[in-house]
Amino acid sequence: MSNPFIRIDGVTRTFGEVYAVDDVSLDIQQGELFCLLGGSGSGKSTLLRMLAGFERPTAGRIIIDGRDMTDVPPHARDVNMMFQSYALFPHMSVERNIAYGLHRMGMPKAQIATRVTDMLSLVQMEKLARRKPDQLSGGQRQRVALARALARRPKLLLLDEPLGALDRKLREETQLELKKIQSSLGITFIVVTHDQEEAMTLGDRLGVMNEGRIVQVGAPHEVYEFPQSRFVADFIGTVNLFEGTIAEDRDTDAVIASPEAGIDIRIPHAVTGTAGQPVAVALRPEKIVISRTLPDPYDNVLTGQVTDIVYSGNLSVFHVTLASGKRVRVSRTNRLRAESEGIGAGDAVQLGFTGQSAVVLAS
Amino acid sequence: MKRLVALVPVAWLGLFFLVPFLVLLKISFSEPAIAQPPYLPLLDWADGILTIALNLGNYIFLTEDPLYLLSYLSSVKIAAISTVLTLLLGYPMAYVIARAPEHRRGLLLMLVILPFWTSFLLRVYAWIGLLKANGIVNNALLAVGVIDQPLVMLQTDFAVYLGIVYTYLPFMILPLYATLSKLDADLLDASADLGARPGTTFLTVTLPLSLPGVVAGSMLVFIPAVGEYIIPALLGGPGTLMIGSVLWNEFFLNRDWPVAAAVAIVMVLVLALPIALLRRVQAREGERP
Amino acid sequence: MSHTVLRLVVIAGFVFLYAPIVSLVIYSFNESRLVTVWSGFSTKWYGELLRDPQILGAAWISLKVAFLAACLATVLGTLAATALVRHGRFRGQTLLGGLVTAPLVMPEVIIGLSLLLLFVALDNALGWPGGRGLSTIVIAHATFGTAFAVVVIQARMVALDRSVEEAAQDLGARPLRVFFDVTLPGLAPALVAAWLLAFTLSLDDVVIASFVASPGSTTLPMVIFSKVRLGVSPEVNALATLVIATVSILALFSAWLSARRRGAGSGLSG
Repeated sequence: MSNPFIRIDGVTRTFGEVYAVDDVSLDIQQGELFCLLGGSGSGKSTLLRMLAGFERPTAGRIIIDGRDMTDVPPHARDVNMMFQSYALFPHMSVERNIAYGLHRMGMPKAQIATRVTDMLSLVQMEKLARRKPDQLSGGQRQRVALARALARRPKLLLLDEPLGALDRKLREETQLELKKIQSSLGITFIVVTHDQEEAMTLGDRLGVMNEGRIVQVGAPHEVYEFPQSRFVADFIGTVNLFEGTIAEDRDTDAVIASPEAGIDIRIPHAVTGTAGQPVAVALRPEKIVISRTLPDPYDNVLTGQVTDIVYSGNLSVFHVTLASGKRVRVSRTNRLRAESEGIGAGDAVQLGFTGQSAVVLAS
Repeated sequence: MKRLVALVPVAWLGLFFLVPFLVLLKISFSEPAIAQPPYLPLLDWADGILTIALNLGNYIFLTEDPLYLLSYLSSVKIAAISTVLTLLLGYPMAYVIARAPEHRRGLLLMLVILPFWTSFLLRVYAWIGLLKANGIVNNALLAVGVIDQPLVMLQTDFAVYLGIVYTYLPFMILPLYATLSKLDADLLDASADLGARPGTTFLTVTLPLSLPGVVAGSMLVFIPAVGEYIIPALLGGPGTLMIGSVLWNEFFLNRDWPVAAAVAIVMVLVLALPIALLRRVQAREGERP
Repeated sequence: MSHTVLRLVVIAGFVFLYAPIVSLVIYSFNESRLVTVWSGFSTKWYGELLRDPQILGAAWISLKVAFLAACLATVLGTLAATALVRHGRFRGQTLLGGLVTAPLVMPEVIIGLSLLLLFVALDNALGWPGGRGLSTIVIAHATFGTAFAVVVIQARMVALDRSVEEAAQDLGARPLRVFFDVTLPGLAPALVAAWLLAFTLSLDDVVIASFVASPGSTTLPMVIFSKVRLGVSPEVNALATLVIATVSILALFSAWLSARRRGAGSGLSG
């Protein structure tokens, strides 16, 4: 295997007693758009700041493009960052903000002018070049911040919650734009975000962080469909978790006894673990079919009573209470304008799902 | 009710701050006299005729005797040099306090302000004991053997600079601290990220953004320093020319009230520009959220 | 500049600020009349100080003046701050704004001289204030004290949450009630600070008082000034030490108060 473009090797960062980043190792390839996803205090921003050089690792090395950058100060790195606050210099115009990093490189004036014009057209801000940051809207500021960080053609661009300050509509448009710019320039991007939807839309791969550690790395669909822990299953998307124990484990199938679900859940493949070991079965709400009487046979069928229906336009979420008292969420796309079967609160329903769509989690 | 709230302070400050200036202006145009009060009235109502005796003599007098011009120039010079020295000492102090961990900032600020609460007069007085020929500094230097003759420090311009820097340092530090502590740390990180060394970041980001604090602090030192009386009186020598002392002497020793008033009016004119500058900076800072 | 250099500058700055004060305190316990030549520990100058009728009389006058001036300045400052912060744009706002900031920087000799000339003119025209004395000093000190009080109170008023007052109005309180029930308690720390500031400034002023005082109403700073013009005096050192001790105790007390308030506040929110 070729050497990765970025190698984070056993990096730890402590603040006093607190482990902000705890022994993280991660490889990122050239040209990749990698998302670091985690809640507040998960260590994702500290990891980003170590890549930029604002924080020094307490232990471990950071290697970028074959060069050990651990002790290189921020101003001497071929890495640029787009700040969550954008951090535009309020006393400089848009073009002077973009030119700032180029002046620091000692680039000749004429070349700076050309580069600034290129960057302005890249983010479509040509007309506002002479404005000061406080005369711009949030979306415009975001674009200037991006242009400023890209102007030096860094090997690596770090983006700290790049879309966090934008409203929903603008965020969706900007996500696509950001992806387009990234693939056209071929620069490696590392994006920090707390928004799992954003991470899945943007990232080629994502790394989920919790309590200073990376808990899972993978392509968005891998992380969503095959979470490796309860934390990841719960953090990304919505999930129903059924507690149980391994009842039977064979080469081709397995059975999980779950009093919570009220049935033995059948899984059509082997699971890792021994009989009697406590596990959880994770099941996404959209993987469950809800009906008064299921038309087709399913591997697993639960029965319960609808307690709530939450309508949100494109889909409806049914809250179903099982005999054990366990509440299950089931989502269904509203293909028709009216609910065809007429399921209402209080109705007894059947919930069907295939063993294939469930994930068995040991931890 | 609402009107009364504004009216009372406007009336008070108008009567005891604004009107006195008009009186000052009026008396600067009247003729000195040996009388009680020692000036002739500006308006004279006699035989049904109102005579206004507008006397420019006091102002002409100020231009004739070089003492006044020299005093104004020397005051501005002393105040300007002291302001620059205060800035050179105050800026790093304000910078370090603004960058200190949050729980320690309060203590450091209090240490800056605390001397301001103890008597200004007594603090200036303390320097006499330190600077005089057989004072603490000379005694210490003699004991160590750095010098074998006491240095002449008291009653020199040096002592006046020292006194002004010492007295007005908090006035410099506080506005500087206010702008520096508002400075977003992300901006400094962004500058480093874009390839600026710490020195460049200071010159291109920190300094320009703290300029309002620099101007406000400098004016808060410069303006009162121009009219300072106590510091030159206690620490300065016979060669120390300051316009505050000139005014004091005209009033208390020569008892020439009209000339003292003219000296004061010219001083206000000299200070009009710095005061306007200060007002502008403060108004703009006030607009910011 | 490297961090070590910066740190050294700051340490030098604080030494510069405190060395003179410390020297005053140390040498107030010196037995010798030649203040700066140490000849043994003694508290005799404190005794001399407390037996000096001139200093005691002047101190009593100064305390009376400072008390009255501080009270006046706090009331006027509260009114002015309320008008400036809470009444939106009104006619005369610029005038009031200018009137409260100008005394902050105006050289004292000018304030003193112009006020004296006003008092003389008023005396001639109206027979008031009937010569100079305590009342003229109080008026003068209240005037520049107001300017400082406004700065302190205004800052606090801007920081106060306006919606709390609106809530009181919404619950049926008339404007005056709102002021006394909600605004004033919120302002209390600033009012105390403003009062103390005006009090200290009054207690400290030589120049303005020299203009507007009469021979019968000499304040403490005026007495000290006339003494120290003649050189260092061990009695003044003793007096300075007492002033410094008082101020330090008050400062520690206020720091303790605000620390306690902060503790209580975080307890509520946490």
